[in-house]
Amino acid sequence: MPPIKDKFTIHSKAVVCQDVDLKGDITIGAGTVVHPKATILAIGPIVIGQNCIVEESAIIVNRRKEIMRIGDDNLFEIGCRVESPSIGNANTISTRARLHHTVRLTSYCVVGPGCLVAPIQDETFEDFTVVYGASSEYRLWSGRGKVQEMDLRRKHAEYLREMLPKFNRLRRGDNA
Amino acid sequence: MRCHKVPSASVRAEKNRCARNCFLCPLCRNTLSVVPSDPPEPEDPRLSPIATSTIGEPPFFLYCNFCRWDSADVGIVFDKPTGLAVQLQKYEDSAPDTLEFERLKEHFEQFIRVSNAVASNHPTGSNHMNSITAAASSVLSRDIPGVAKYSGRKSKSDKHNNRDEVPPYRSRFEAGANGILGQGGGENDVSFLATLEDISEVQTLEQRSISKFSDNSVTVPSDLRPLRIPLHSKKSKRCPSCRHILIKPEQKAQSVKYKIKLVAVNYLPAITVTLPSFAPPAPTLDKLKRSLTAKQNPEDEKTGPFQMQAGKTYPFHIALTNPLYDLITVKLSVQRTAQPTGKRPAFAVSLPAAAFPIAAYAEAWEYEDDDEMFDNETDDIDELLEMRGLSPPEREVRAKTRNKTVGVLEKKANTTVIGGEVVIGKDGRGDVKFNMLVSYTYRSDDIGSSEVEGGASKTPKALALETKTFSFYTVVDLGVIVPKDESGSNI
Repeated sequence: MPPIKDKFTIHSKAVVCQDVDLKGDITIGAGTVVHPKATILAIGPIVIGQNCIVEESAIIVNRRKEIMRIGDDNLFEIGCRVESPSIGNANTISTRARLHHTVRLTSYCVVGPGCLVAPIQDETFEDFTVVYGASSEYRLWSGRGKVQEMDLRRKHAEYLREMLPKFNRLRRGDNA
Repeated sequence: MRCHKVPSASVRAEKNRCARNCFLCPLCRNTLSVVPSDPPEPEDPRLSPIATSTIGEPPFFLYCNFCRWDSADVGIVFDKPTGLAVQLQKYEDSAPDTLEFERLKEHFEQFIRVSNAVASNHPTGSNHMNSITAAASSVLSRDIPGVAKYSGRKSKSDKHNNRDEVPPYRSRFEAGANGILGQGGGENDVSFLATLEDISEVQTLEQRSISKFSDNSVTVPSDLRPLRIPLHSKKSKRCPSCRHILIKPEQKAQSVKYKIKLVAVNYLPAITVTLPSFAPPAPTLDKLKRSLTAKQNPEDEKTGPFQMQAGKTYPFHIALTNPLYDLITVKLSVQRTAQPTGKRPAFAVSLPAAAFPIAAYAEAWEYEDDDEMFDNETDDIDELLEMRGLSPPEREVRAKTRNKTVGVLEKKANTTVIGGEVVIGKDGRGDVKFNMLVSYTYRSDDIGSSEVEGGASKTPKALALETKTFSFYTVVDLGVIVPKDESGSNI
């Protein structure tokens, strides 16, 4: 395998802390917040959209050649591990949840704390899928309350964009 | 949100459940929160600026943050976010189960009253015989038609003749009529279950058992209703022998603290077991101190499933830390487990048989010179202990290694490290787990501090005037035995 060539494209309005582990071809969109100690490993390229939040010790991996696209307003909570080749918008991956490369998320999906999503065959979660509980059960959310949740997500990201630079050194993109 | 003191009268009236705004999710049993409805959605939510504030707009509904269940799914919405239990009361009260239960209660009420009167005439009755159990027992002892009468019972029933007369109960609906009334259990459910494809389409047993007052069909999860949170009580515990209060929680519902908290771990030596051949360093004092301050349970000494090979001998260390302000003398012994006849024990454990001291705990340690290392008192090793189960070569091996490993290894501050040894039989299997009897003696200065009684495992023995001896059993788990033939390749 050829060595991974680093190429970081970080939007000037994104907040990416110095102490993150980035490897490979990574594009981070405007307003996205990456906490210290997060890991993004791009064997194939990874493109993260706007206003996402990647928390501490979250791990995002793309093992494939194709681009892994992550949409807008996604939240990756502490210690989660995500290898899904495609993630839509406004998803929540809770603390220590694990998503295998066989699953794709659309939008408004919620993976509960500690859930393991590892379907044997490729699977795409439709909008508003909720995975919860110790045995990772699935159900569909009615979507009621999503506007309020998005509102909260935006405020969350805005607060972090304001506070994180006060206590952390930031990383800039290659061409910034 | 278990946050209020509830008077006992309303506990009974509300069937032991919260009468305020606390509800459980019927799917996952998480606490539900009351949320307002969404404001009208902007055309493109991504372009819209952050909404200034989400106004609490009715209708309100209950929402589970964990599995995203919401009560609007089952058609429960509220105009205002307070007093939800009252608003939900009508669902509960009109449920057929509730009505049936009320009817049953009514039916037995007069019967209970009569048996109460009888019970008051016979004050000799045991105190667990309250009116309800009395009623239940007399109903149970009623004659069953077609069954031969128990001869000894007749005379007794004559005495309490009036107690046995219960008019037959007629339920609101005949059993089996539910299906006709669309209440589950009938033809509809049969056909529903016949066409069932996915297990998630039916309620789980747990969901069904906790939703006692569910209405209509009990099979479809979408019919589940939010549940009022069961009330909890705080209990204090007393010593069974001297009635001294051992733990007493604070009265305030929000507080998780204890007014009185006498737990055994503060009085028993903390025990940590390590296998030096697996764990890199022997436990340091630092670690032990931390485990002490963390109130480590002495029983909880399992450090991980070590894999041991059959037919080998492993030394192990037991570190005992004294939490008392007095010097204690400890004696360890292994409980011999009864083996099925003709079978050799899978392993044999040897421990120093002599009692050894552990220094008292002091707030600030002055690290003077450490006590000189103890001479190994090999003579005192309980030779007979488990030798019987070993073959001659194993015995030889043990005799060789014993001198170095068994005995008091280290004494530092209030911690003493003891070396032990486990010999695993050639065809040993299973867990290396043994019961160890720890008995310790200390000389107490003040008589008043004798609050150590309590745990069922302890057997206080008054030896001398001031010395006290306590003993308890604990289980030591050293690891698992890997059969030799399977692991032979990777040694």
